[in-house]
Amino acid sequence: MTNDVGGVGGPASRGIHERVLADTFVMLADTLVDDYDVVDFLHRLARSCVSLLDAAAAGLLVVDQRGGLAVVAASSEETHLLEVFQLQNDEGPCLDCVRARQPVVSGDLVAEASRWPRFVPAAADAGFRSVVAVPMRLRSEIVGGLNLFYTDPQAVPPADQDLAQAFADVATIGILQQRATHRSLLLAEQLQQALNSRVAIEQAKGVLAERHGVEMSVAYDWIRRYARDHNLKLTNVATAIVQGDVDVRRPRR
Amino acid sequence: MLTKAGNQGTVCATDERAARVEDLQLTTGVGPCIDAVTSGSPVLIADLDRSEGVDLARWASLGDLSTSGVRALFAFPLRIGAITVGALDLYRDTPGELAAEELSVALFAADVAAIALLQLVTATDDVFALDTSRGADYRMQIHQATGMVAVQLGVTVGEALLRLRARAFTDGSSVAELAADVVARRVRFQMEDR
Repeated sequence: MTNDVGGVGGPASRGIHERVLADTFVMLADTLVDDYDVVDFLHRLARSCVSLLDAAAAGLLVVDQRGGLAVVAASSEETHLLEVFQLQNDEGPCLDCVRARQPVVSGDLVAEASRWPRFVPAAADAGFRSVVAVPMRLRSEIVGGLNLFYTDPQAVPPADQDLAQAFADVATIGILQQRATHRSLLLAEQLQQALNSRVAIEQAKGVLAERHGVEMSVAYDWIRRYARDHNLKLTNVATAIVQGDVDVRRPRR
Repeated sequence: MLTKAGNQGTVCATDERAARVEDLQLTTGVGPCIDAVTSGSPVLIADLDRSEGVDLARWASLGDLSTSGVRALFAFPLRIGAITVGALDLYRDTPGELAAEELSVALFAADVAAIALLQLVTATDDVFALDTSRGADYRMQIHQATGMVAVQLGVTVGEALLRLRARAFTDGSSVAELAADVVARRVRFQMEDR
């Protein structure tokens, strides 16, 4: 496999990269055959994007049938990052990508200030200089977009854009595959379900952040760890926290 | 429309036929709106005669819905995250999918109904919380703030959401602005605010 040399890395590093890439897709595919939580799946996918594509942050926005886009998962749960993604409900590369149904790339956001007057300053404040947005598609329908942010101005190589598109396609499959009930669900049902899961998780983050005086991102980590340790779905743990049935305490070390 | 929290029943039906189908589901405990409430997912069936992946046999005890004149059925759970108050059920006497615009209107109607019903089941007397010009909002900070206020006041998350909306209304600010202040810990709700 390593004799197929190309790119900057040379045979050895390319071999390692391919191994990591393969492992990632095996991990994602493994999840898809089990009963899984869609928000947790998309969160893992976003984190994989960041590490494999050397991005600073990744976010997934899906179409809300009420109109507009809503964040369903991101590589990090830091509130300011989620806000930058959500800002694209009004304007930004991801919204343009979903509207045009094709990738939108900006190698230097500074040059796009007039194109996205609200998004560019917010992205700059968060430390981002370049961006790639690829569409999540299902046949003729558009499901949402995958957004990658980088801290340096850079032209993202076409191979990386292709890989981002592959991640976006896997994300689409992840949303569609999830079966909450005995019947196969329609796209609209799946998307609404995913969005509502996201809301329940935000409510649970708020409960924990207030009760234990921690940051929202820490609260999210606790919910995730509890779900994993008890083999439960993220959304179910979040709902139990909100209803007062479960308290996720700071893990003892 | 039926509420799950505590007093189950049909709150409102537009005609006899709809009321009958709702009552039937409440009595038998099965049906698409019951599924919408328990699964939290909308149930959209464009043609009851062609099930297309939908296991209609599960609802056999409902009898033939078409004798009630129902040919298509769209059930929307009334929920905001972990807050669940019931379902909004729409029936058609002819088969056909909801157009994108109709789906969007139905979701918006469900959001507004969720807030209105939440008010009803929470039994607060604060009319300001019932500002139905605003439906659900997917800005995350609103939901984070809702969770925080629930802990601050020792109330359910449903009631916390109403408190947040009521205070934004009386302060003359938007719910999103107030929520951002709560999340940044610039604003706290006190027990006396109840």
